Amino acid sequence: MNRTESINDGASEIASVLVAVQASLSLVAGLSALPFAIVEPGFRVLGVMTILIAAAMFWLARNLRRGRRWAWQWLVSLELLCLAITALLSLLPIGAVRGPVPVLVNLVIPMAVVVVLAGAKSDARRAA
Amino acid sequence: MYDIATDHAGGLTAAFLLLLFVFAFGRGLRLLAGRRVAWAVRVTQAYDAAPSITKLAATLMLLSGGIHLALVPGHEGITGVLFGIDGLGFVGLAIAAFVTTWWRRPAVLWLVATILAYLVWIIAGWETPDQVGIACKLIELVALGLLMRLANPTRRTWPRRVWRATAFPLMACVTTLGIWVGGLAHPDALHAHAGALLQPVADVATPEQQAAGAKLLADTRASIARYQDPAAAIAAGFKPGPVSSAEPLRHFENSANANAVLDPNRPQALVYARTPHGLQLIGAMYEMKRAGQWGPDPGGPLTQWHQHEGICFSPFGFEFSFETPFWTCPVGSTSITTPPMLHVWIIDNGKNGPFAADLDKTVQRQLTGRS
Repeated sequence: MNRTESINDGASEIASVLVAVQASLSLVAGLSALPFAIVEPGFRVLGVMTILIAAAMFWLARNLRRGRRWAWQWLVSLELLCLAITALLSLLPIGAVRGPVPVLVNLVIPMAVVVVLAGAKSDARRAA
Repeated sequence: MYDIATDHAGGLTAAFLLLLFVFAFGRGLRLLAGRRVAWAVRVTQAYDAAPSITKLAATLMLLSGGIHLALVPGHEGITGVLFGIDGLGFVGLAIAAFVTTWWRRPAVLWLVATILAYLVWIIAGWETPDQVGIACKLIELVALGLLMRLANPTRRTWPRRVWRATAFPLMACVTTLGIWVGGLAHPDALHAHAGALLQPVADVATPEQQAAGAKLLADTRASIARYQDPAAAIAAGFKPGPVSSAEPLRHFENSANANAVLDPNRPQALVYARTPHGLQLIGAMYEMKRAGQWGPDPGGPLTQWHQHEGICFSPFGFEFSFETPFWTCPVGSTSITTPPMLHVWIIDNGKNGPFAADLDKTVQRQLTGRS
């Protein structure tokens, strides 16, 4: 394989792409709330907050690629929080997690990020 | 709002089987390589030499290819042919990732073309967006993101940097918007409006069903007449829902009636219009206990229940928007599906009729002064 691939290889690269996907989906969710904010002021706050969180996730993904330890810690915490909320919502009879798309977005991707990041840390420990 | 289309369910099965096959194939290869079978050794070495990001991208393309191929039998004409070509292309590119050095650009083009073609099909109304299709697009978006990370930027100029940083979020936004537009522009027969799924019923009401519908309307009108004054409703145990500037109607719910099933004497909620002169009783709402549990429809197609899906609900009040096709909501809100409900409008509801999911827009404008 070519050199580019070996440079870009690694768990942090994969995790950063998955986080960028999550951030993009959050960005869309935040933007999509803004039209409703015209008639529902509460969604103005939620929409802007979601866009800010999406921006923070892009920033964390960027810093994860650069090997920043704090980005790793923040992302693991965020993903675990996301998984806990998903578990809680799936217990409630409100149909929040129903079908393959919410399972992929709310369960598989966060779990994959945690597994990849945990694997990367244990690899780094072994290498040390 | 987005269900699993019957003819797409096979795609999910194919995805599971494909993952199992890939796992078993990999184990088999390792076994043969351990026994020094020459071709198995070569394939295993090529796979091991590939970076993990390439392995994941190839697996996702293989998955998308498998789903597309599994959907070919359920799609006639040009759509079926394109699914076949697309699926074979993905399988070919997934293999090419381990045996060629030129695979990345064609794979990026193939993924972008596939996603854009899906959006064209959805917006044109040739395909209905469903969870299998949307899940497939999510898989392709992740694969695209991985391939974009494999790019080797030769010139690091500012426009190129900006493009590299914004291309993927832009693609995700375009994909979401396209699916959304397609879904809202071409709802299937069971979606009354965005987010409301209708109970499947026959096309025409029989004379008996027409009589039963008229009786339900008359019984409901007679029963709730005592609640013209909202104070009487509150005294009877109905609790006013939160006031929302987005909602010209106001529901008063009575949790004591939760177990009643289409009982005109015990409706789950009363509906008032917020008129310039105060609240005016305009109907009742019957509600079942669980999502997906359709209620009895004595009037057949006249008394068709509906449930609301894909609403982003904020516990801070009656604030809501629609969830995105990727099932995401703004922070602080969550996607909910309501139990089935049936409105009985005791006022003249125009062309929508007395059991419609929504109040007629003209009637609503006349009552509340806004649409």
